[in-house]
Amino acid sequence: MFSYFTAGGKILGMNARNLHYIRPHNLKRAIRIADDKLLSKRILNHADIPTPKLIAKISSRTSLEHFDWGILPNSFALKPNRGLGGEGIIVVYGRKKGQKDVWVKSSGSVVTLDDLKNHIQNILDGAFSLSGVPDTAFFEERITLAKEFRPYAYRGIPDIRVIVYNGVPVMAMLRLPTKESHGKANLQQGGVGVGIDLSTGTTTTAVQGKSKVIEYIPGTRLLISGIKIPYWKKILQLAVEAQRASKLGFLGADIAIDRTYGPVFLELNARPGLSIQVANLSGLRRRLERVSGLKIKTIARGIAVGENLFGGEIEEELEVTSGKKVIGSIEQVKLISEDETEIEVEAKIDTGAYSTSIDIELAKQLGFEKTLTAFDKIDLSMYDLQSANEKDLKKELFEKHSSNVPHLKDVAIVFTASGATIRPIVHIQFVMDKTTIDAKVNIIDRSELKYPMIIGKRNLHKFLVDVSK
Amino acid sequence: MDQLNVHIVIQQFANSGVPMESIILLLLFPLIATFVALLRNIVGIKTFGIYTPTIITFAFYQMGLKYGIAVFLIVIIVGMATRFSLKQFRLLPLPRTAINLTVVTLAVLLSLVFGGSLQRTGFAATAIFPLLIIISLGEKFVAVQIEKGSKQALILATETLIVAIGGYFILSWDVLHVFIGQYPWVILLVIPFNFALGKWTGLRVREYHRFRDVIKKIQ
Repeated sequence: MFSYFTAGGKILGMNARNLHYIRPHNLKRAIRIADDKLLSKRILNHADIPTPKLIAKISSRTSLEHFDWGILPNSFALKPNRGLGGEGIIVVYGRKKGQKDVWVKSSGSVVTLDDLKNHIQNILDGAFSLSGVPDTAFFEERITLAKEFRPYAYRGIPDIRVIVYNGVPVMAMLRLPTKESHGKANLQQGGVGVGIDLSTGTTTTAVQGKSKVIEYIPGTRLLISGIKIPYWKKILQLAVEAQRASKLGFLGADIAIDRTYGPVFLELNARPGLSIQVANLSGLRRRLERVSGLKIKTIARGIAVGENLFGGEIEEELEVTSGKKVIGSIEQVKLISEDETEIEVEAKIDTGAYSTSIDIELAKQLGFEKTLTAFDKIDLSMYDLQSANEKDLKKELFEKHSSNVPHLKDVAIVFTASGATIRPIVHIQFVMDKTTIDAKVNIIDRSELKYPMIIGKRNLHKFLVDVSK
Repeated sequence: MDQLNVHIVIQQFANSGVPMESIILLLLFPLIATFVALLRNIVGIKTFGIYTPTIITFAFYQMGLKYGIAVFLIVIIVGMATRFSLKQFRLLPLPRTAINLTVVTLAVLLSLVFGGSLQRTGFAATAIFPLLIIISLGEKFVAVQIEKGSKQALILATETLIVAIGGYFILSWDVLHVFIGQYPWVILLVIPFNFALGKWTGLRVREYHRFRDVIKKIQ
């Protein structure tokens, strides 16, 4: 129970967010920029941060009456300048065929020119702005869905939220529109938030709505974890650059990926929500405290710090809970022979193989030349290789030859698709991911293969294999 | 309240012509406001700001809890229904709100008349200002409905109601009236208390629930 409360201390709550982060770091002037989409756009573009292109804006009844509707492209987004939480946005996918001034929305329903005029009128009257102050409406280019996200997004466009503090990206999530959220990538409306590993840009855990943890994309059997976000580095860079440009010390940067343009900055958020912690199953408070006070001079440095401190968490956690190291399918390995010769090679990790093998050439370099020469002299043609007599055969061979073949520790009979081979087994040590393994390895000609060493199950019990690594 | 049992300052206030009940209620106002702030920042109950639940608490106190809740519910339900039926006409916000208020006010008036005809004279004779306070809540409700949707608005309304009911029980606790009458300075303690509350950055009770999966994970 007590540990429950201390763990709670690592989480950023509303009180701490407002008092420690928003109040001191997001000054009024900066918040004004964030709450004004057109101003944000201007400031971001000035800093060479791409945003959806502005088509036109309407700021008064008179300009609405005189607006030239002909300048609108076939698809666009109509937004209130000071809208809250994605309210009041109309996204149009194209013109309805054969009908003048009728457009089709993302939901498939149509809007007429009158609908648009009325909607703009509502925007001007402040129907979507905070406390109803008069507002401006604007048209901008519609973002097109990147193909990488096509299976995961229900209508709408997914976006990526990055929390940036003190020049360092501290946490990120991918927001996916769902049926429940009516195609909006907004958690409060039932969208899905997916945690992202900061260093690799790969998705981890996910939440739907405010606190429901999920594993699959709603309504499908698509696993949410393991989605690789394209342009990840670029996204982090844009987020950090936007913090510099906007001077929002505690920023929620919203970035979308356009099929043609790549990452596009959507919105600055001066009061980022807290559900990102549920999406990542990780606390923000601890992360913010670690970054606070660091002197981050360049954008690249900030990104590197974020990646190092907050990336690879999944792996670390796995290593802590299982006591095993996470390795990839190819690993750098240092081999140490009995006479202390050290050679570094790349080894293939193969959980389908039982034992570990090294190439003949490599074995020679490790000082097993005599072993090989002696082993080659043995006449093996008299043996009938069958798995039934494998044990006896091995025993017989080893007892007979262990005295005249130096370093021979055992004999292996390996059955492969191309037939059975008899191989000498020697003892070596190898170091992989800082762990030293004592291994009995067999020697075989691998000159036709890419890697001179293959590590099998027998020597992998201290590791977990991540095939995506 | 017995004049002899109150603090000398209160007695002087009363002698200058301020009704005793007004003095005590005014002194209790900061306490109710603090109660709302506490529920917000420690428990995490969300209301229509701090002013609305506090003032509704006092309206309930004046009207009696039963009638207070009745009017509150009428305002919310009629207000919501009116907004939905007005949506199709696409009116500008202020005239639309005025229509909304009109319908809500008439509904409250009719229910008072109806209550009177059922010999619920207490209901029919309710003072005008508490009524208007609750009616004007309807506007807040509609504003939230537009900004955050009906579901959020209903949640906020429900939680405002719960807070106001809680406040009502504090406010109608006689012992408290007597106590404040005797020790009016105690009310100043809400200032240091709110100072502490304003610097407190722990998780709210509700956030422990909201982040339960995260906590379990990092525990």
